[in-house]
Amino acid sequence: MVQYNFKKITVVPPGKDFIDIILSRTQRQTPTVVHKGYAISRLRQFYMRKVKYTQQNFHEKLSTIIEEFPRLDDIHPFYGDLLHVLYNKDHYKLALGQVNTARNLISKIAKDYVKLLKYGDSLYRCKSLKVAALGRMCTVIKRIGPSLAYLEQIRQHMARLPSIDPNTRTVLICGYPNVGKSSFINKITRADVDVQPYAFTTKSLFVGHTDYKYLRYQVIDTPGILDRPFEDRNIIEMCSITALAHLRAAVLFFLDVSGSCGYSIAQQAALFHSIKSLFMNKPLIIVCNKTDLQPLEGISEEDMKLVMEMKAEAMKTVLGQGGEPTNDEGVLLTMSTLTEDGVIAVKNAACERLLNQRVEIKMKSKKINDCLNRFHVALPKPRDQKERPPCIPQAVMEARAKEAAEKEKRKTEKDIENENGGAGVYSASLKKHYILSNEEWKEDIMPEILDGHNVADFIDPDILLRLEELEREEGLRQAVEEDDDFEMDGKELTSEEQEALAEIRKKKSLLIQQHRIKKSTAESRPIVPRKFDKNKEFTTKRMGRQLSVLGLDPSLAINRARSRSLSRKGRKRERSPAYDGGDAMDVDVDTPKKKLRARSRSLSLSRSRSRPPSEVTPGEGFKDSAQKVKAIKLGKKSVKMRNKDARRGEADRVIPSLKPKHLFSGKRSIGKTQRR
Amino acid sequence: MATRLQFENSCEVGVFSKLTNAYCLVAIGGSENFYSTFEDELADVIPVVKTSIGGTRIIGRLCAGNKNGLLLPHTTTDQELQHLRNSVPDQVVVQRIEERLSALGNCIACNDHVALTHPDLDKETEEMIADVLGVEVFRQTIAGNILVGSYCAFSNRGGLVHPHTSVEDLDELSTLLQVPLVAGTVNRGSEVIAAGMTVNDWTSFCGSDTTATELSVIESVFKLREAQPSAIVDEMRKSLIDSYV
Repeated sequence: MVQYNFKKITVVPPGKDFIDIILSRTQRQTPTVVHKGYAISRLRQFYMRKVKYTQQNFHEKLSTIIEEFPRLDDIHPFYGDLLHVLYNKDHYKLALGQVNTARNLISKIAKDYVKLLKYGDSLYRCKSLKVAALGRMCTVIKRIGPSLAYLEQIRQHMARLPSIDPNTRTVLICGYPNVGKSSFINKITRADVDVQPYAFTTKSLFVGHTDYKYLRYQVIDTPGILDRPFEDRNIIEMCSITALAHLRAAVLFFLDVSGSCGYSIAQQAALFHSIKSLFMNKPLIIVCNKTDLQPLEGISEEDMKLVMEMKAEAMKTVLGQGGEPTNDEGVLLTMSTLTEDGVIAVKNAACERLLNQRVEIKMKSKKINDCLNRFHVALPKPRDQKERPPCIPQAVMEARAKEAAEKEKRKTEKDIENENGGAGVYSASLKKHYILSNEEWKEDIMPEILDGHNVADFIDPDILLRLEELEREEGLRQAVEEDDDFEMDGKELTSEEQEALAEIRKKKSLLIQQHRIKKSTAESRPIVPRKFDKNKEFTTKRMGRQLSVLGLDPSLAINRARSRSLSRKGRKRERSPAYDGGDAMDVDVDTPKKKLRARSRSLSLSRSRSRPPSEVTPGEGFKDSAQKVKAIKLGKKSVKMRNKDARRGEADRVIPSLKPKHLFSGKRSIGKTQRR
Repeated sequence: MATRLQFENSCEVGVFSKLTNAYCLVAIGGSENFYSTFEDELADVIPVVKTSIGGTRIIGRLCAGNKNGLLLPHTTTDQELQHLRNSVPDQVVVQRIEERLSALGNCIACNDHVALTHPDLDKETEEMIADVLGVEVFRQTIAGNILVGSYCAFSNRGGLVHPHTSVEDLDELSTLLQVPLVAGTVNRGSEVIAAGMTVNDWTSFCGSDTTATELSVIESVFKLREAQPSAIVDEMRKSLIDSYV
């Protein structure tokens, strides 16, 4: 929502000050030292800068004026018309137009002179051009001096306008001068409007605020209106007319029934009828004021008739809102601002009718659908039989009852703080209100860390209970253990079994011993799997010995081991005993090779022949079988575990010899270290 | 009775305090103004305890509790825990829980009988809530917000929820909680209800920006004065329409 605040418009300096401000700024903000001897391009640039800078500043200042003053066509019509009434739209527009023209002129001057400066051929010429440029700019400003002065006046006046929000809930008070409008606003709001016993005390709009049903209402006091043709009305009256015309407000038409304001009821009724077109679609209330001087019932017959006519007219506004025509309360009200009789009734009636109208309009708008949930009170449906009562301590109820009787002030922490030097000085103890079984414990200091342990970790409120439980459990376990006391000793075993057991134990302890020795001297030696047999301890001899201890003949096993030994690689496997049955393997007999080949082929043909891995098949991407063999080799190598048997490699650390004798022997008293 | 107040120029009083039917926790401020407002109202009836939680002042958002118990996040120090145990009445169980979502106040909304929780809370935490606070636990969202603790405030007598809660959601929540509910705002239109106010069964504290309309909605829905929740749809309806639309 647009906020109308004309207080923030910057001050418009008068023409002369304007020039001073700009020129002194140019002087301060641009370089001032220049010499004849400078290159001509530098001189030109120096003066061009001055001209441009001055123009920029003028442009900036004039632009702020143009932008900050409200455009009468763009703001709310109420303000547009109000400003027109107060300052005359044409004059206002003219002044701003002049400022705009000046801004353009100055830009043009600067452009021209910058162009001319490009042709300046000496310091003197350039300087003269600059002086001329600045002089012409100042002349332009001097010429709009009156406009600037006018704008400044308007600015000052606008800053003092009341901040009326044209869209909010508004109650508008109007009527003849001196009928008690200002007294009324003083009664219902905190606006302190001047009240005097002569006409036109109020010369402009005044705003006050009042509350009704949790909402804030803006109450506008307007200057009095006289009954005369529209054109003859003065500025003061026109303010009221503008407000009446443009604000969607509840209108209170004040009627002085006593006639002490100097105007008869007939005159006031005439005014009412002449401006009644302005009351269209607004809740209108006719307020008969000053009943302390003259009660409404006491007025003459024809006056009463006029009042009733006005009431009938006002009833139409109720009809216009779709209310039932029979409801005539809140249309004609009487009050006396002097005795405050009926003042609140008038305020309430006005606010209520305005609220009803606004709500009715808003109920038709689309926006209401977004807010429907906020006018809904969800009441629970019972889902089970459980009672969920509120929990209000008895003390609250008692305190409430007592509060009704008398209120005694409690001495709060804040009071104590103020007594003891105020905030920042006083520091209240947090332990003051502890609820402990012993009052003396309150200020006890609790250790936080004890023997490097967090005390809080060991705090357990039912530690004693748990200890007891543990002890009971332990007692139970002890009782059970006493019952079955079992231990392995070798009494139940036979003598053989005992021997075997002894053997096993011996072996076990031996293994452990060996392992320990190995471990203690291992240092950084690698752990090598047993199959590599680094220490050459798993010999065939040993195997034979162990087998014979077990009562087995070791010769077969030894032979087999020998046949597989690495050192005897060249040795052929011994032939297995001849197999007479089949001749397929009988190669020694003198069968011709051809025959053999043929047979072998025929045999092999009956089976599927697998390809050797080195054979190249199309699509594998190898050139020839040699390449494929190489690739297979590489592949195998890459998946091989490296150096599992911890052989020496080139990466091992080597200390060749610690003290090579030939380098450390010989005399070198005089000669060089290299020469020995 | 609803009271308007500020904590060191901040209107988010629900952040700096935790009010239940059995105790009231208040943040440690620079002066005693905030504390004394609570003290004035409550100290005759329930203990008003100045405390920090995990060294911070945002205690209202970090802990959750009702008259049966008080749940504290794992950031609570041992000293604070001891201080709280000493300060609240003995029948209130003070329990620190190991929950990843440590702003328990934002994740749990509860009265003495029912609790709404963040949908992602641990199973163990849920059990703990049921045990310590003695409530039925429902995993819920409010107007699509998973931080149920921030966007609603309710006592055993009524509740206020996020202004965008739909009518169907309102009815559903109201049936779950078994209290009348209204969608509304605090602090001149703030949606984070629980941050702007704190309430128990007989009194409430709101941020000082709270408007008269908001305050009267609060007083009626929480039944703080004679007003009943139905007042919102009867006499206040017009004012509400004019101020919201």
